[in-house]
Amino acid sequence: MKKLFIGLSLSVSLVAGGAMAEDPEATAFRDGFIAGNVDWQAVQERAKKEGTVNLYYWGGSDPINIWMDRTVAPALAEEGVTLNPVRITGTKDAVDLVLAEMAAGKGPGEGSVDAIWLNGENFATLKRQNALFGAFAPKLPNSKFIEWNAEDPRSQMNLRDFGVETGGAEVPWSGEQYVCAVNTDRVAAADVPHTFAELKAYLDKTPGKFTYVKPPHYIGNTFVQATIYAHNPDGTGASAFQESIDVIGAEELARLITPGLEYLKALEPGLLDANGGSPRYPEDPSALDGMFLNGEVDFNCKFGMFAVATGLAQGTYPEAAEQFVFPEGNMIKNKNYLAIPANAPNPAAALIMTNYMSSVESQTSKLQGTGMPPGIDPWKLSEAEAASLAAASPGLVGLTQADLDANAAPDTNATLVDVIEATWLEYIERDSTDPIDVIVKRAVENLSK
Amino acid sequence: MRRRKATSALNTRLSPFQKIYLLLFAGFILGPFIPLIIQSFAFRWAWPDLLPSTWWLEQREKSMLPLAWDYVLSPYSRMLEATINTVFIGLVVTVICLAICLPAARVLARENFRGKPAFEFFLSMPLIVPEAAIGIALLMIFIRLGLAGSYIGIIIAHLIPTIPYMIRMLTAVYQGLGRDFEEQAMILGANRWQVLRLVTLPMLIPGVVAGALFTFLVSTNIFLLTFFLGQGKIITLPTLLFSKIAGGTLDASAAGITLLVTVPGIILLLVTERFIKEEAFGKGFGN
Amino acid sequence: MKNPKPPELARHRRERLWMMLQLLPVFSVLTILFGGALVLAVLQSLGFAPWFGVNTFPDFSYFGALWGSYSFWQSLALTLYYALMATFISLVMGVLLALAMVRMFPGKSLYKYLYKLPLMIPYTVGIALAVIMLGNGGMLSRLAAFAGLISDPSEFPQILKTHYGWGIIAVYVWKQAPFVTLTIYAVLLGVGRETEEAATILGASRWQTFFQVTLPQILPGIVSSTLIIFAFNIGAFEAPFILGGGYPDTLPVVAWRYFNDADYTLQLQGMATVVSIALIASGILFTYLALYRRYERRIGRN
Repeated sequence: MKKLFIGLSLSVSLVAGGAMAEDPEATAFRDGFIAGNVDWQAVQERAKKEGTVNLYYWGGSDPINIWMDRTVAPALAEEGVTLNPVRITGTKDAVDLVLAEMAAGKGPGEGSVDAIWLNGENFATLKRQNALFGAFAPKLPNSKFIEWNAEDPRSQMNLRDFGVETGGAEVPWSGEQYVCAVNTDRVAAADVPHTFAELKAYLDKTPGKFTYVKPPHYIGNTFVQATIYAHNPDGTGASAFQESIDVIGAEELARLITPGLEYLKALEPGLLDANGGSPRYPEDPSALDGMFLNGEVDFNCKFGMFAVATGLAQGTYPEAAEQFVFPEGNMIKNKNYLAIPANAPNPAAALIMTNYMSSVESQTSKLQGTGMPPGIDPWKLSEAEAASLAAASPGLVGLTQADLDANAAPDTNATLVDVIEATWLEYIERDSTDPIDVIVKRAVENLSK
Repeated sequence: MRRRKATSALNTRLSPFQKIYLLLFAGFILGPFIPLIIQSFAFRWAWPDLLPSTWWLEQREKSMLPLAWDYVLSPYSRMLEATINTVFIGLVVTVICLAICLPAARVLARENFRGKPAFEFFLSMPLIVPEAAIGIALLMIFIRLGLAGSYIGIIIAHLIPTIPYMIRMLTAVYQGLGRDFEEQAMILGANRWQVLRLVTLPMLIPGVVAGALFTFLVSTNIFLLTFFLGQGKIITLPTLLFSKIAGGTLDASAAGITLLVTVPGIILLLVTERFIKEEAFGKGFGN
Repeated sequence: MKNPKPPELARHRRERLWMMLQLLPVFSVLTILFGGALVLAVLQSLGFAPWFGVNTFPDFSYFGALWGSYSFWQSLALTLYYALMATFISLVMGVLLALAMVRMFPGKSLYKYLYKLPLMIPYTVGIALAVIMLGNGGMLSRLAAFAGLISDPSEFPQILKTHYGWGIIAVYVWKQAPFVTLTIYAVLLGVGRETEEAATILGASRWQTFFQVTLPQILPGIVSSTLIIFAFNIGAFEAPFILGGGYPDTLPVVAWRYFNDADYTLQLQGMATVVSIALIASGILFTYLALYRRYERRIGRN
């Protein structure tokens, strides 16, 4: 029996061990491109040889799926590259796959993911695990449409992703803002809340008519972050949450987030179905869309500057839906990106694809077809290009671009997001009776393990 | 016929309660398909409307994007790919499963050997151990072997839950077959191949078809193993539908996809009902 | 078998070898795949995962942490509750249907197609049907509004996404009651109705006939079908994932969440969860089978 066991563990460790394999040619190509020694024509030639690009993206939206197949695939085919759009249910699946493959010894050129649509924690994870291709973004020909000049404050969204320096390892694809919609058939204009206090007052009067997407979904995390900004005890809003957890420390973070979490706790009895015990938090935005359409809730908050316009065009929003300013001064704005993993099997094709995605042409058709706001920066475009981009917008419903700009706030540092998310799960969802500073401390310890 | 006459002392008609029960049960099984069909043609259908306020056909011309059935039937929905994958995987799994189970079932039905009960129990273990456990554990091995996200990996994984069913059904078939015919043929001078080809196989065919159909059915309905091991790269009908409804809502295109996912089942139902008698199904699960 | 002659011995050996050879393919496939997966799962749950740089084998802390947490037992209770409830309801509904099915009625050949439909289609279809029927914005809620019983979706009793799990149970029953019917109906067809008839002639009431004649006859079918569906229900993922009430989740969903956590060392915790599910499931099912075998022996059936 013992012998059998030893033999078994030996064979398992044989399966498990082994050094990182890599394709030296792929490594050379990467080093050459990032050093600027490979011209674009060589990239195009290599991409034609590679033939395919495996793009992993969240496949939960029909319009995005259609746009990928209908617009992106033919455009890349002209470059001799076949798009393989892999629709995943969560971005983390692709990150997991890359990390698992790297852990299994699949190095440069040997993996199966060429590019991922991501931001925030997922990018931070790949960066921390050294699983990124490198600083490719500023080397793309179309990166001229993106503001890289660090002296321009508007460049921050291209240089920092949830407080983590992008280092050019991902290229901006779309810039979004957290916007709420209201069903004006059910809520009078005077009752529409613009601050958290007004929201609480509304729910005291009309209980059960609001809920938010449950963390750890990023849309839920964002709502929690906005709450915490607004309840920052120092009154410094988002600016207190831009450093990493190592700089801020568990104790200080706990102090900063306690009022926000206490507000969320106090909000619970007024949330959807709370009268039957604990409230109901939808797991993802499409579930919240369904509740909004059926009048189960009166409001719908998510990343979606053009969500109302596209929702009306798709029949997924009630006809009387309108956007409104909430919460004043803390409407979180950020970008999402395309990143190339370190072990991408077709790196040149991935470069061709990301470059196409940064073109004015593709950004315009994306805005028009899917309602995803542009990721390139309008002031870097020619006047005609900027005008065509603006004309493609499905349009805001009920508020103006000026409203959005005036109330914009940055997102939270990715290392804090994990801690805040863990604290929410413990304190709100699991009704932990531990004080918040104990929970935060434990979360920080768990995450730094 | 004889039996029916003989049961004159028993009530062979339904009691009123049973009549109502049959109707209720049919409603429970089929009723939900009515709103599903309506939803698949809806554009906007909000509570408390019993019928959509706007139908898909009204919006069809205005919309830039394919809606509802236009989306479901377009290549964008990946329905064709998922159907082909499902059928292909199911067929290969069935063939492999049949090939490895036939000889074993013959031995199990006819021979006695030491440790046979233990062996039989081992063969039915996959029915008892949860699929989630197997799937997660296999994923670790498959990633390392490069089998994750490949057809081979999924086909191999599908063998685990299908083997117990196939073994049970085929063993029952061999048991019912008896040995006499083969022995007679042997006595009459047929060699092993001839016996297999001319005697055993023709008698086995109905049972084998039943086992094959059932294995195919089980394989096409597997979600979890495909979901874990396919890694989003290989989609089948169950995983495609899962990604559409994972949020817990159902729009028109999701409703259309749900309806199409039931079509292979209906076809299979018509086929099995023709080829398999109820008894054959039942025997497969007997202990 | 005393001292067979050499040629006979050789023939016997050959036969045995041939027999083993026939068993080999299925045995090796299951051992390598299924056994390998199980062994690896156990090893990992005991701290053996060199690919994450973790190797503290044998380390019982993952099980300790899991079994020491209150939420694990909550999840276990939920898992068992959904599984048992669904199995029981499926059994009752399925047996009732099978008893009706052996009688004659108009449209029976059509009905034989109809009731089997859920068996042929994936669970995900059942989930979609539950969503459209049972949600607060669903069809039943709309009918209730149409009948004037409620005036807001929130007034409709919540069926999905609660820890009572009626939505999950409804999906299981929808899929599994026909399965029970199929098995029991087959057994009933097999045994014929002579004994029932005899009992009736001898003056047994309908209840007596059912409990003393029919039930013992269909018991093997009941045991094997409930065994299979209960085992499935314990390990099911998609219905509790989509229709469940959130934290605490059922064990397979908990395992999946651990497995998907950003913290990769939690995967070992997930493995411990998975192994726990397997242990508990097989424990319950073994006991069930053993009890049944004892009963069979007692009544002199083998």
